[in-house]
Amino acid sequence: MPSWAAEARQAVKVYGKGDSEVRALDGVSVGFDRGRFSAIMGPSGSGKSTLMHCMAGLDSLTSGSVMLADRELGSLNDRQLTELRRTQVGFIFQAYNLIPTLTARENITLPLSLGGTDGDREWIDLVIDTVGLRNRLTHRPSELSGGQQQRVAVARALASRPAIIFADEPTGNLDSRSGVEVLSFLRRAVDEFGQTIVMVTHDPGAASYADRVVFLGDGRIVDEMSSPTAERVLDRMKRFGD
Amino acid sequence: MIGTLTRKSLRARWGRSLFIALSIGMGVAFVSGSFVLADSLRATFDTLFSRLNANIDLEVRSAAAFGGSDAERDPVPAEWLDRLAGIDGVDQVSPVLTRTATLLDERGQPITTGGAPAIGTLWQGEGDISGIVLRSGRPPEGPGEVAIDRSTSRRFDIELGRRLDIATPVGVRAFSVVGIVGLGDADGFAGATLALFDQPTAETVLDSQGAYDAIDMTVVDGADVEEVRRRIEAALDSRLEVITGEQVAEEAAEQIGDFVSAFGTGLSIFAFITAFVVAFIINNIFAITIGQRLRELALLRAIGANARQVRRMIVTEALVLSVTATLLGIAGGLGVARALIALFDAAGAGFPPTGLVLAGRTVIAGVFVGVGITLASVVVPAQRAGRIPPVAAMQPELGFGAISAGRRLVGGGVLTAIGAVAFVLGLFARPGGTLGLVVLGGAGALAVFLGVAGLSSAVVRPVSHALGWPFARLFGVPGQLARENAARQPRRTARTASALMIGVALVCAAAVFTESLRSTFLRILDRSVTADFVITDAGFQGLPPDLAQNISGLPELSAVSPVRGIAAQVNGDVKQFGAVDPRPFDLLADIDMQAGALTDLAAGGVLVHRDPARDLDLVIGDRIDVTYQNGVTGSLQVAGIFGDAALVGNWLISIDTLEAVTTQPQRDFFVIARVADGVDAAAARLALDTALDAFPQAELRSNAEFRQQQEDQINQFLTLITALLATAIQIAVIGIAITLALSVFERTREIGLLRAVGMTRRQLRRAVRWEAVIVSLFGAVVGVVVGSALGTALAGAVPDTVIDGVTFPTGQIPVVLMFAVLAGVTAAWYPARKASKMDILDAIATN
Repeated sequence: MPSWAAEARQAVKVYGKGDSEVRALDGVSVGFDRGRFSAIMGPSGSGKSTLMHCMAGLDSLTSGSVMLADRELGSLNDRQLTELRRTQVGFIFQAYNLIPTLTARENITLPLSLGGTDGDREWIDLVIDTVGLRNRLTHRPSELSGGQQQRVAVARALASRPAIIFADEPTGNLDSRSGVEVLSFLRRAVDEFGQTIVMVTHDPGAASYADRVVFLGDGRIVDEMSSPTAERVLDRMKRFGD
Repeated sequence: MIGTLTRKSLRARWGRSLFIALSIGMGVAFVSGSFVLADSLRATFDTLFSRLNANIDLEVRSAAAFGGSDAERDPVPAEWLDRLAGIDGVDQVSPVLTRTATLLDERGQPITTGGAPAIGTLWQGEGDISGIVLRSGRPPEGPGEVAIDRSTSRRFDIELGRRLDIATPVGVRAFSVVGIVGLGDADGFAGATLALFDQPTAETVLDSQGAYDAIDMTVVDGADVEEVRRRIEAALDSRLEVITGEQVAEEAAEQIGDFVSAFGTGLSIFAFITAFVVAFIINNIFAITIGQRLRELALLRAIGANARQVRRMIVTEALVLSVTATLLGIAGGLGVARALIALFDAAGAGFPPTGLVLAGRTVIAGVFVGVGITLASVVVPAQRAGRIPPVAAMQPELGFGAISAGRRLVGGGVLTAIGAVAFVLGLFARPGGTLGLVVLGGAGALAVFLGVAGLSSAVVRPVSHALGWPFARLFGVPGQLARENAARQPRRTARTASALMIGVALVCAAAVFTESLRSTFLRILDRSVTADFVITDAGFQGLPPDLAQNISGLPELSAVSPVRGIAAQVNGDVKQFGAVDPRPFDLLADIDMQAGALTDLAAGGVLVHRDPARDLDLVIGDRIDVTYQNGVTGSLQVAGIFGDAALVGNWLISIDTLEAVTTQPQRDFFVIARVADGVDAAAARLALDTALDAFPQAELRSNAEFRQQQEDQINQFLTLITALLATAIQIAVIGIAITLALSVFERTREIGLLRAVGMTRRQLRRAVRWEAVIVSLFGAVVGVVVGSALGTALAGAVPDTVIDGVTFPTGQIPVVLMFAVLAGVTAAWYPARKASKMDILDAIATN
């Protein structure tokens, strides 16, 4: 009985051919615990985004396998993958997370509406109150600040109670106060609701909110760290240059 | 990544350029095609007539008091044949005698030629001075022989030696086909059927009554034509005239030229409408694509390009594109003309071998349309692009500052108002006659379209929200996104929809017009026609007077009257006079007599409609001086004033009066009849059918059948207009597709996000599809509103005798809306596919 919410085994991703061949993932095996907050770190080009995309069902592996919510992603077709993303995965991107023509509430319930359900109303209300968006629900994204937009994105990721949330540099475009706010919500989602979250970041401060950090370099897992602090993560990151 | 992006963007732009070029090319092809077709047909007929008449040196015919090549002339008495032959210098003399002679198939039914005339004519055989040449067999000799044209022979499979029944002015006669002929190079004559008889036979079966239509002559070798002409002129009496062979050819060519010109003008009007729609699309595409390239242009500015260079770059690109497209379009126009000629030929037109004529005028019109439209479309966006500050390259959000909604509203409103005034002025006041009507009416309508396009952007949000409501309700998130996206950029949506709006508005205007025409016609029919039967002739060539004569004796009928017409001058103006048999006609129709009685006409005189009576201040007993086309003058006493001109026109005389002034062979336009009291309609029909056996070219219809036939014709007219607008509508649909594809391209990141959070490809396709449908519906709804207004004005501008009130075709509006949905679904095919094929990761990574 696997205890992982998501797991990659011998994941290999190759871009290009011949001389221009790039091995973005070079045999990565990693699992992410249920109900925990994990961070993936590494310098640019280390393969951290590729790993996230492949584990979230946005991209496919060249070889190896990904298990997500007890399903092997490689065996799913586009329609099944789409449904999996809608029901089992939550996404928070760095920017442009919201559909500009929909209100905040409509953006939050978007994955549920796409599946033709209303979802758990009480739960959604709880999420909305947790991220403090109650009085912003009828606003369009253009009427919200950057921090508020990311909070809407967090609420959307939580709304369908997915098996796992992937956050790709969720604070990369925010000022530090809004960034702290968003990271606190992610932390609370794990602590209070038992949500599983995997976050890609290059910010040691952000990584310090996680329970565990996995370090990637040149497409391989090079290290990992439990109960990280910003200082320890920074120290580890400095060693990548060596 | 940069390489991929550049390649992708280039590829996207390549497809876009292809679309732009295609639209321009289609517009140019239609415009130049209609010009080429008209010029080619005119040149062909000019050549044909000059060849057909090449041997004729002189022609003697009756003089006409007025009118040109199409004047109806009295015949020339046969004794002139010998007299002319006796004049010094005249070599051959050849009588011209042409009447309607309908070929019949084995079952005795007329061979239908789609309305082209059925001609029977006198032919003196090979070596005669007409341009008719024998292709096979031999010339007809004697009462039982006929030659026909090769085109007819091929089309209806009538071979040499076959027995052929022909309905002639003296009844149905049986002939044997002994010869097949051509007219110069041509196998036939524009779809007409030709039956040729030798002189004695023609004089009998074509009922010459001792006279010919004209007499053609050649002069002896070495004689001076002008001298001979003067000699002949001196010998003629005042009712005859002599003209040269060149004049004969010119007049014949002029007559067909008028038809070709009208045909060409009609076609080019629709071609220019298409070009106008193309202009809308091109303008929209340039506005969007240059907007999308702003960052690239700003980068150019940042690295040192000045505003003028940026402008020049954009204009040069447009120029290259449009010149290429225009050249291809003109080449396409030649193809269009060739295809149309082939189409007409396949339908039996039997055109002579036609060489395509590409006049300088055609090239100029093509360049004006293709290059002109493109440059006009690119000027404003190029100006704006030139004003982009270099720093914009570094800014995340880019876009044109749109013209304020207020200014757009005022501009659109003013343009609409000016256009409406011009349109109404053109229709009702007609300054400068037809030219004023076409120029003012056309320019007014175009201004209205431009103005409404501007105005409609102000209502895009509320209207598309309302139209999108059912989609958002029925189709969940895709429907909701479609509704929001349609309203997202009102100007773009308005411009995109406007292309369709124009097509729909014109179809709708035509529908209002024809519906009004139909309901007026039916009202008049109900109110004023009490006849039970209408007898017409399929080819609009009229019926022999014997027909009315024969059936008026039937005991099953109580009244029979032919209706004829003649042109005559009253106070120097040419008027059309109707002629009927007053006593029976009084029982067959009610023309709303206001003074005097219809039967008073039996004693001679004229009935005048109240409008001209008022204008000329005529009352019963007044006399009017009349000059008929053949030069005969007379004085007619006003016998009554009537109120309903729909059936007989403004002036009505009796058949007896008509026959007293003309020696032309008479033809009845149509004959109407009424069943006698106490006789069963079926019995009367049977009796009529039997009596009409001798006249196979006659078509008998009951009142109800006649009504149906007229309605069918009105519907055909509407179908024709719609078909001619089809190209414009197709281009509008392509326009929606291109705009939507560009919007999809702009929304790449958004689409990636939607897909990432769980939107299926199918849901994405639906969102694009319903958006296209909402945009189409928007265009259709505005088009219906504008078209109804234009149609109302059109119907109002027509005399009351033709249209006496506006009727809206309410049944057709749902059809138009259904069509709009279909158009939207069609237009969405490509952009929806493009959106759903988008790679999620690329889309998310796009900046």
